[in-house]
Amino acid sequence: MLSKIRNFSIIAHIDHGKSTLADRLLEFTHTVEKRDMRAQVLDTMDLERERGITIKSQAIRMEYKGHILNLIDTPGHVDFSYEVSRSLAACEGALLLVDATQGIEAQTLANAHLAKQCNLKIIPVINKIDLPAAEPAKVAEEIYNVFGIPENEIILASAKDGSGVSELLDAIIEKIPSPTGSKSAPLQALIFDSHYDAFRGVVAYIRVMNGELKKGMNIQFMGTKGNHEALEIGTLKLGMQPRDTLEPGEVGYLIAGIKDVKECRVGDTITTTKSPAPKPLPGYKPIKPMVFCGFFPLAGEDYENLKEAIGKLQLNDAALTFEPETSTALGFGLRCGFLGLLHLEIVQERLEREFNLGIIATAPSVIYKVIKHNKKSLLVDNPNSMPSAAEIEAVEEPYLKLTIFAPAEFVGPVMTITTEKRGSFINMEYMDPTRVMMTFEIPLSEVISEYHDQLKSVSRGYASMDYEVIGYKESDLVKMDILLNSEPVDALAIIVHRDQAHSKGKKLVEKLKEVIPRHQFGIPIQASIGAKVIARENISAIKKDVLAKCYGGDITRKRKLLEKQKAGKKRMKRVGSVDLPQEAFLAVLKLGQ
Amino acid sequence: MILKPANKLRGSKIKRNRDVQSQVPSLYIHIPFCKKKCNYCDFVSYAGKEYLIDEYVEALIRELHALTPLPEGEGVKTIYFGGGTPTLLEPHHLEHILNVAATFRLPSHHGGLKTAATLEISIEANPATANKAKLKELRQLGINRLSIGVQSFNNKHLQVLGRIHNSKDIFRIYEDAKAAGFDNINLDLIFALPNQTLEEWQEDLKTALSLSPEHLSTYNLIIEEGTPFAKMSNAQCPISNDGKTILEEKELAMYEYTIETLRSAGYKHYEISNFAKPGRECQHNLVYWRNENYLGLGAGAHSHINGKRWSNPNCLEKYLSLTPSFSPLTPHSSQQNQGETIFMGLRLLDGIAKDHFQGFEKEVEELTKEGLLTTEKNNLKLTRKGLYLANEVFLHFI
Repeated sequence: MLSKIRNFSIIAHIDHGKSTLADRLLEFTHTVEKRDMRAQVLDTMDLERERGITIKSQAIRMEYKGHILNLIDTPGHVDFSYEVSRSLAACEGALLLVDATQGIEAQTLANAHLAKQCNLKIIPVINKIDLPAAEPAKVAEEIYNVFGIPENEIILASAKDGSGVSELLDAIIEKIPSPTGSKSAPLQALIFDSHYDAFRGVVAYIRVMNGELKKGMNIQFMGTKGNHEALEIGTLKLGMQPRDTLEPGEVGYLIAGIKDVKECRVGDTITTTKSPAPKPLPGYKPIKPMVFCGFFPLAGEDYENLKEAIGKLQLNDAALTFEPETSTALGFGLRCGFLGLLHLEIVQERLEREFNLGIIATAPSVIYKVIKHNKKSLLVDNPNSMPSAAEIEAVEEPYLKLTIFAPAEFVGPVMTITTEKRGSFINMEYMDPTRVMMTFEIPLSEVISEYHDQLKSVSRGYASMDYEVIGYKESDLVKMDILLNSEPVDALAIIVHRDQAHSKGKKLVEKLKEVIPRHQFGIPIQASIGAKVIARENISAIKKDVLAKCYGGDITRKRKLLEKQKAGKKRMKRVGSVDLPQEAFLAVLKLGQ
Repeated sequence: MILKPANKLRGSKIKRNRDVQSQVPSLYIHIPFCKKKCNYCDFVSYAGKEYLIDEYVEALIRELHALTPLPEGEGVKTIYFGGGTPTLLEPHHLEHILNVAATFRLPSHHGGLKTAATLEISIEANPATANKAKLKELRQLGINRLSIGVQSFNNKHLQVLGRIHNSKDIFRIYEDAKAAGFDNINLDLIFALPNQTLEEWQEDLKTALSLSPEHLSTYNLIIEEGTPFAKMSNAQCPISNDGKTILEEKELAMYEYTIETLRSAGYKHYEISNFAKPGRECQHNLVYWRNENYLGLGAGAHSHINGKRWSNPNCLEKYLSLTPSFSPLTPHSSQQNQGETIFMGLRLLDGIAKDHFQGFEKEVEELTKEGLLTTEKNNLKLTRKGLYLANEVFLHFI
């Protein structure tokens, strides 16, 4: 049995054609007939389709030439690298998919590293060879330079027209090792994904490593210590196919009447209550949100709805955390934790789109470690929880190792924007004569503002990035307050490096002046550190706002104009006597050039 | 033509409320023809389609016939020919329309259209489209108020606006109108024109006053979407917040100057943009501001009868080929109608009676505190500051 199973993932940079290749594999193995093919069946959420990324992974079982091929999909973004690593841990091999027109990108490299850490057999595939701009020879050279894989092991394919796909399927069977594992050993099954189903509770996606999982068994999750009964188990085609047992090497699902995805953590090990495994599988990490921000409903009465909506999203998103937050400016809201900025944006977009909630998101913050003079230290994820400057001995912030791939001609601009954001240059390597890999150490807080957009813009879209957290470092950080009409607005406060305080303060007040509409009174805007004002602007009072013409008898038109004006005001949040648009809170994020 | 909705409306709503004085509708007749479209204009009007005038007048007559005769004791309160350029019509066209309109049963004391001294019949005129003979004929038809589209006396600005006349044409038509027997003349002026200085506007006002018209409408230029002006200004100068302030300060200075100057010249400032010698307020426009009843005839014309609103198709050809729709534009709640009564009524400097504001007590209190509204006798009205920030006030009532 074991010898007939191949478990593999596809690792690729965004847009290199992972989902299309997955579609082709399903089609060539007759798992899905061509006529039933919805483009990119693996991406189930609309949002995923629109953004062209896979957020949540799933698995699918194919049968080909007497073998069982389990394709385990992986999320394609750096925010979800832990989830990627757990999906890879469920495999013995990985297809390293590289776009023939783009070459190796940052995420290709990052995910390939993860695959190597998991000892996976890597099969490189150069995709999109049908495109006129394809340069397979050049990309093959890159693959050799970066991964040391010789050209004769590379498969040339076009997921679009299907060329190279049967060759690839054969290579999967020949080159990827079959799983190992003992049926008689105590049960160890790895949870590599899960999702919440409104009718059946949590569905866990699992890979059995050792032992046998049987329907009706009493099981234990070794990380969360939860005890459950295996109500239903089975394998995954396009739907769930119930089975009575799952054996070593098999990939499938488990339903155990679990109400909360938090009890079913990716990376956790399932064993039996009766004869538990002595040790869990390696690699399990508890959830650790990296980025925090406040979500506040535009309409105060929507607070309960917001809470309910976030609760619903959390059912399916174990990495999302929240707790109540109160702001003097914005009222009741929720302080939410995310894996990264993309995760944050996805949650915000879903709240607005699926729950029809108007929300204001305050500037994202990382977790700072504050050491006070009395040597007590505390974690601060909200600028307003920062102790006063007099109490602080030192502040530490999370740092990243940032890897950037770019054509050589963009080295200068990439260097400029990265060092402006306090990145320190570590290393540069040529992948081939035209492309380089640069490494920096940079504070996470700098990367979560607009770094990625800037990188794309200075490199005309050619640079790609990836990062990993390397730990905390001390920085000279201060809290900057924003005052409107001399009143501090807590929701606009940010933590900045002292050296950047002046320029950021200046840009921020300028930006606020642009986006805050004029009122019937003048509004001074100030940025201050402690009691010291470091930048100021003034929004002048509105002097005249009157429609001269009465458009004959067309009162409806007048009404519409007024309604539009009024609707604009409704989308704003009144803070003190000032109406603030959502853009005011975004301004903090966009202080770059 | 299917005219059921109109009949129904006329038969039910108007009749039932006959004791309300405002039920007698005013008549607005839209003439959507121009020799040339002006650069700021977004009214329903077409250049180069004058060959459709005969056909259009026929359609107007059909629409009028569908409305007349109104039930006994009713008629029209005022008649207004607007455009477009109504003076592109020949006198016989206008005569035909007025003759049919006369079959509306007028309030008894009027005794017929031509002799009705108190019935205001206005026509808008472009200075380049009417000579003395034509004006005389118009006057003889019973048209007793002439609204001249002056816009500016400055030839440079007239050109920028895309007008087809110069300042000489204005003086000529004014003189001809007087000679033709018009003793109730309005001049339309626009201020805050592109690159116009305060001094240039002061000059325009001075010139206008030298003619001593009975009425003056002074409109702050609004750049409307889709007009040539909008395309020019959007492409060339996206205005920053600072730019807006500067522009606004200039506009405000012009507006303030207008109010002071015309008031001291003996004109009553009776509506945001309108000034009249005593007793010469435009009766037709007052109907709009008081949110009373009016019937709009012609392409794109709007009607309001007892809280119901509807409009005819904007498209000239569609109007010619189709039945006027007479379907309400939007379902109007009574609260909406109340809001409209308020924001139209507050345009009048005397304001409107307090009892219109029921349910808006909080808003009135707040706006009074902010110095935008004030109470005089039984009326609520805009303060001077409120006048400048009228939209900010109106927003509270919709």
